[in-house]
Amino acid sequence: MTFSPSFRRFAFAYGTAFAVFYVVALSRDLALFTVFPSLGVVLLGTQHAQDAAPSMGGVPAMYWYGWTATAAIGALIPGFIAMFFPEQWTRRIWLGWLWVVPVFAMVACVYLTMPWFRL
Amino acid sequence: MATTLVIIHGLVAVALLGAITHQTLATWAPAGPRQGSFYGRFRSVPSASFANAIVLLYAVSTLLGAVVYLYFRVDIRPELERDGHWQALGFFDLKEHFNSIGLGLLPAYWVCWQRPLADELGRTRAALTAVIAFIVWSSYLIGHVMNNIMGFGS
Repeated sequence: MTFSPSFRRFAFAYGTAFAVFYVVALSRDLALFTVFPSLGVVLLGTQHAQDAAPSMGGVPAMYWYGWTATAAIGALIPGFIAMFFPEQWTRRIWLGWLWVVPVFAMVACVYLTMPWFRL
Repeated sequence: MATTLVIIHGLVAVALLGAITHQTLATWAPAGPRQGSFYGRFRSVPSASFANAIVLLYAVSTLLGAVVYLYFRVDIRPELERDGHWQALGFFDLKEHFNSIGLGLLPAYWVCWQRPLADELGRTRAALTAVIAFIVWSSYLIGHVMNNIMGFGS
């Protein structure tokens, strides 16, 4: 299977941006939607159980799907922009960012998860 | 239903684990002319041929995990919280975060492994494969521990 150079630029920008957007979504609690699995309800945005409705107090809420969706959609923007970049511009960008940024994003995720380990 | 999905999720994860381990070793420690040993044969696979399978298995495994996560959140996590398994829950959160980052990397990973293999992508390809391998291995181990943490039949 072959792919165009513009798709390559999209994929590289998307992967890098996804990692950044995911950490931003996680740290700023920017879920595109919140899932309440026991109720079978999905609400737009980050909805903490007690904020969504008084009747939902204590009901488990899930944000991971929403954070992933935020990153997936957010990363489309730099991905599409990169598609229209001239080839000579993108050649100057160090390809290592493609794995360095996700590795730093993973380290940031470890940092943001630390409260669990202090309980 | 949840048990069936967890078993299928586990089987897909095992297949993914095998494929990514083969590819990572073949990339980082390619076999020399002598391939007689088990390790030599293990890392002498044509690594590019694994890429499509790895992308598919990763996507299917993540999808199954996302479905199973719903049951986990309602039925399992409250029990773990009650018993104070905070570290395990922290590791589970990490697994979810790493998986999402890996999901975002899949298109780039797939491009890097398309034939003919681009020479300028050699290091990036190897590093990206190692990152995906780390995510898959850590997710598998964390998932395995979480699956067994309460003991069989509890």
